[in-house]
Amino acid sequence: MKFGIFYEISVPRPWTAESEKKVFDNCLEQVALADELGFDSVWCVEHHFLEEYSHASAPEIFLTACAMKTKKMRVGHGIIVCVPEFNHPIKIAERTATLDIISGGRLEVGTGRSATWNELGGFRANPDETKKTWDEFVRCLPKMWTQEYFGYQGRSWSMPVRAIIPKPYQKPHPPMWVAVTSPGTEIDAAERGLGALGITFGSVKEQEDKVKQYRKVIANCDPVGSFVNDRISTANFLYCHEDTETGNKTGRRLLGTFNFLASQLVAAREAYPSKSYPSLGLLPTLRREASGPGDEAGVPEGIAIGDPERVLRACKRWESVGVDRINFLLNAIETVPQEQVLNSLRTFAKHVMPHFQDASTQAAAAGGGR
Amino acid sequence: MPRAGRMDVNQFAAGTTVREIKDYKTEGWTLKGAQTLNIYYEIDNATIEDLIPVAARPSIPAYGIFNVVHFPESPAGPFTIAEVRIGCRAGVRPRGFTLRSYVSTEAAADELANRWGYPSVVADVYLRAFHDRVVGRVKADGKTILDMEMIDRDFIAGNDIQYVSNMHLARSKEDGKLVIVQVDPEWTFIKAERGRPHIISVDSDAWGAGDRLRADYPISASYTITDMTISPIRYILDPNQDAFRGTTKLAA
Repeated sequence: MKFGIFYEISVPRPWTAESEKKVFDNCLEQVALADELGFDSVWCVEHHFLEEYSHASAPEIFLTACAMKTKKMRVGHGIIVCVPEFNHPIKIAERTATLDIISGGRLEVGTGRSATWNELGGFRANPDETKKTWDEFVRCLPKMWTQEYFGYQGRSWSMPVRAIIPKPYQKPHPPMWVAVTSPGTEIDAAERGLGALGITFGSVKEQEDKVKQYRKVIANCDPVGSFVNDRISTANFLYCHEDTETGNKTGRRLLGTFNFLASQLVAAREAYPSKSYPSLGLLPTLRREASGPGDEAGVPEGIAIGDPERVLRACKRWESVGVDRINFLLNAIETVPQEQVLNSLRTFAKHVMPHFQDASTQAAAAGGGR
Repeated sequence: MPRAGRMDVNQFAAGTTVREIKDYKTEGWTLKGAQTLNIYYEIDNATIEDLIPVAARPSIPAYGIFNVVHFPESPAGPFTIAEVRIGCRAGVRPRGFTLRSYVSTEAAADELANRWGYPSVVADVYLRAFHDRVVGRVKADGKTILDMEMIDRDFIAGNDIQYVSNMHLARSKEDGKLVIVQVDPEWTFIKAERGRPHIISVDSDAWGAGDRLRADYPISASYTITDMTISPIRYILDPNQDAFRGTTKLAA
């Protein structure tokens, strides 16, 4: 089991130059500490127009800063939107290769397609097309990274033969992932040999079924890249405090704030009828899981908030169903003061990480757990 | 701070049609073969807070739901109804807050008001499906107040469609207070289509929005035939409190 952190970069109104900067600075301070403590990776979403909820519209810049602030942590796109109106595939190949070089080969590349009308409408992307363009992009990217010259005549995009440069530092190329939110995407991931970046929070049972399916299918996959990435990652909240009541209370505030913010956004399916979006997608799923039935403390089953014992239990539960990595969301519109976020990371590294073999090794190597 | 509604509901009620509701123990109606033209448009983001009560929060981006529904049969006889609703959230749930509705018969207006406190007045409401388009139109006092169409009809599956439930303002007969009534209809899809949305004109004032309702940018259009059950009232809300605090559950 490995532990990472992930960022939506959530900025409360009123937005001022200083308030935006403060949030980015806080995130980078957390990343630097997480690296020291032995967290394995930092991930950043790509979102556009999601007021307050996420100001991470330029994740490649944020992740570059993360790479510069850290020594060991891997830096991950969670995810890059593989829709031509958002990102041209050549630019994706170029930017990711550059970031891989700058980070010394620490890049992970998550792929996906966006699930909100805010974004799809904003870029005037056709919701019916996003699954198709994602598929085309993920088949092209490894070739663009590895072939000296690349040319392509495709459905959603084409290019004459050119040298796409630079090439990634990692050989043959960085690990690739796909965000798994819509039903069946875990099968898409497995069939293509892609890591399953489960951006979902609390429903262990639901995830358990997906994990089994994924493992079964990926054993006989036809990988789009030069190698199979068969890892399964899930997302979670983290607020860990030695005092049970403080841990639960602050953690529940984090859940509630996230839930509240996410609910104002418009899922693609809410406004635009399409086969391409058979479920309401990421945001309502996150809301449901973050506000699902709780234990005696009112905390949903798989959510990593509370005292170290409870957080450990939640993480062990995820491990038991075959999840390889948990990526934690640490804050939402700064509802948890920065010093408390940093202390939560320290408490987790000290009391929870040592109970996991990989994580413990990471923490020891990094001098964490202090 | 996240955005929230700021409508003065007393002022809104004074200038629009708010019906009295006697009690909240209404039986449901199942209406067979309802034909629904449903058009979503982005609306002016700057004024949306004025178009929803404190109990609701605006969706981001702001959108309006414009629909015309023909019921070929009902306990009040056949009728056609048009509504303009504002996409919003009650707590964390997507809802459409009804600004105003117009209905083709007096009998239907009375039944809808008596059962659900539904705020409709009689007008000339028109829905017609052609091979190239489906047209919805409302004329009140001789003036066209909504003219819209779905162009290039194309079949989809009913489960591709996610309708948003209603909330509307009514006045409690018991204490005279304004309440928001939430009705969660259920639909069994018989046929579903999608096409290009086009709102030709909408008269903002006629829908109780003063000059604040502007259909800015098309999102989607659907046309369906369903068996629709207008359920018993599920929740009532205090319009002046956020939905987390001001919601009373009436039915499962």
